[in-house]
Amino acid sequence: MVSCFEKKQYSERGNCDCFHFGVFMDSRIGHAAYEPAIYSIHSISDLTPHEKLFRIEIPDAVDFRHEPGQFVQLSVWGWGEAPISISNSPTRKGYLEFAIRHAGSLTGALHQMRPGSKIGLRGPFGNGFDVNRLRSQNLLLIAGGCGLAPLRSLIQYCEDCRDEFMDIRILYGAKTPHDLLYKSDLAAWMESETFDCRIIVDFVAPNHGYSGKIGLLPELIPPLEVEAENTTAVLVGPPMMYPFVVEALRKKGLDDERIMVSLERHMKCGIGKCGHCAIDHFSCCIDGPVFLLRDLQGTEWAG
Amino acid sequence: MKTITCDQFHHFLYSIREDFEIVGPVILHDGTLSLGRLTAEPLALFAGRIPFRFTSLFFPHSERLFAMSDEYRFDKSGSSAKPLLVVGWRAEDLEALEFIDEFFRTGFRDDVFCDRRQSSVVIGVSGRCGVNGEFCRISEGKCDMELIYDGKHFIMAEYTENGRFLSEKIVWGEETDSLEALLQESRALRTPEREILQTASQLLMRNQVDDDFWAEIADRCIQCTSCTNVCPTCTCFDVYDMRLKRKIERYRMWDSCQMSGFMREASGHNPLASQSDRTRRRIRHKLVDDLHRWGRMTCFLCGRCDDVCPTGIGMKAVAAEIVERFG
Ligand SMILES: Cc1cc2nc3c(=O)[nH]c(=O)nc-3n(C[C@H](O)[C@H](O)[C@H](O)COP(=O)(O)OP(=O)(O)OC[C@H]3O[C@@H](n4cnc5c(N)ncnc54)[C@H](O)[C@@H]3O)c2cc1C
Ligand code: SF4
Ligand code: SF4
Ligand code: FES
Repeated sequence: MVSCFEKKQYSERGNCDCFHFGVFMDSRIGHAAYEPAIYSIHSISDLTPHEKLFRIEIPDAVDFRHEPGQFVQLSVWGWGEAPISISNSPTRKGYLEFAIRHAGSLTGALHQMRPGSKIGLRGPFGNGFDVNRLRSQNLLLIAGGCGLAPLRSLIQYCEDCRDEFMDIRILYGAKTPHDLLYKSDLAAWMESETFDCRIIVDFVAPNHGYSGKIGLLPELIPPLEVEAENTTAVLVGPPMMYPFVVEALRKKGLDDERIMVSLERHMKCGIGKCGHCAIDHFSCCIDGPVFLLRDLQGTEWAG
Repeated sequence: MKTITCDQFHHFLYSIREDFEIVGPVILHDGTLSLGRLTAEPLALFAGRIPFRFTSLFFPHSERLFAMSDEYRFDKSGSSAKPLLVVGWRAEDLEALEFIDEFFRTGFRDDVFCDRRQSSVVIGVSGRCGVNGEFCRISEGKCDMELIYDGKHFIMAEYTENGRFLSEKIVWGEETDSLEALLQESRALRTPEREILQTASQLLMRNQVDDDFWAEIADRCIQCTSCTNVCPTCTCFDVYDMRLKRKIERYRMWDSCQMSGFMREASGHNPLASQSDRTRRRIRHKLVDDLHRWGRMTCFLCGRCDDVCPTGIGMKAVAAEIVERFG
């Protein structure tokens, strides 16, 4: 069993010198444990009929450092707080982007906001994708639905620090072509030499112009050639899809040390106190949201 | 070490009433044992355990996390309440307090809890102080000061600076060295319930308790949440905003893992959908998960959940049943 307190330390610098990770404790925003820092929304754009992209500018004077896959606790005054993944890579500084689905009351109120509206932020929180483990590996970056929001931070990181990794494949599945997040990014990734990016949708309405693949996300895996001994897969999406994707990956020879999954549970505090995000002895908010599948063995999640 | 009578101790408490908010067990007019402020009536130090979550003094049922004006300014006006002086906790209560102290301090410091806790003084009571004079285990150090009752007097053991500070203010009493016999009696107390709990913990850890068992226990649960409400080591809470005129206030309030809406995956799936899952969680969390995470079980056998559960499936009862059936 890996100790829960064994904090990942990014003391080792990557080859990429665009940035380096600091000691996270010192580079958070928000005061005390529960008071958020106040920020204005810089701009808002539509991603899908249900998802909008929110951009916040972070002034140079603010020491904010995150790792790909971390999240913030976002406050909408009078509505409370919700965990939201940081969608841009730490290599792209000076701003934060959030892709947010209209899922309920808080996100509904957020979707009503305009540039200039004030929100609250605390964070970054959580253990993101363990970049040290991913370096020098072939990567399979797999996202379902909203899972592309956090995964994009890693994809951008890979783009900016390309030399640190070997082949990078992106597999992304959504319900319909409308629901694909980050359509222009996807188009660019499909074009680029940097990635092998494949997309699949569950179904397509008649007369829709979409000409890509139709089916379920796990179907993208069997045709791939995978060198199991130096490949690591990263999985972000609704947990319902995980057993099927994991099974397909295992068939390719990947063991549980080579599969990372993100487990997202409703969170109230983000700092390991409120109990809402517990998986046995883990708290998703401080031990996750990204876990190595190996570490989840024997937990209620693994069944 | 000094000895002091119960009357003398109360004299002392009255003498420091200006400086501290003094809280301890009190008997209400209708005879109920509760937690209350020191009044003209002496504290009920021999009346048994307070039947609810006494750690609520530091982690109240509901409390404000912050207030913010419509100009986005935080209200920094802290309360100038007097420091709390808490009297009357038993050894198992103090163990529970020690755990939640560690819980709220470790990793991210929960300043709302820690700030309140930091300025407080805790006085435990042990020795022959049970309802019928039975012996209550001596905590030997988990509080600022412990009053160990030898049947006639309290022997005062000071464990911290705060404890010594208070003790120096106590002008009454005689010196004694008679603690050793009481300590030996305390250490020799048999703890069969602890053994049952440990065995249950091991059986759970080895996955020897089957799903049918949980279904059966859960069948008897009416989801009243009394068990989690009284437990001194339960720390779960929910967070919500109140909209007031020209400001919002954010609060936290106790929550219970026994309620069906407690947990959700971001996708909407409920990982604790059945009461069977939730009952299993209630027991396993304290006997297995916290052992992994915190190095110890976090049920200290205070017995409160067994006292309040209307259907008889508190921690001790369930642990005993696990051992009986699977041990
Ligand atoms: C680590 C992490 C990262 C996340 N990142 C993102 C992100 O980048 N973008 C994004 O859009 N979302 C993200 N989420 C999800 C987001 O935090 C939730 O959708 C959040 O609940 C939205 O808050 P809300 O108030 O708008 O919705 P809520 O009002 O909480 O409702 C959300 C959904 O849950 C249901 N629900 C809520 N409470 C209950 C209950 N007690 N019982 C039954 N059903 C209930 C609602 O009916 C609704 O369908 C993330 C979640 C986590 C844990
Ligand atoms: S006996 Fe019950 S109330 Fe007391 S610590 Fe154990 S679980 Fe909590
Ligand atoms: S006190 Fe008993 S009946 Fe009530 S929720 Fe707890 S276990 Fe269930
Ligand atoms: S969100 Fe509160 S413990 Fe994880």
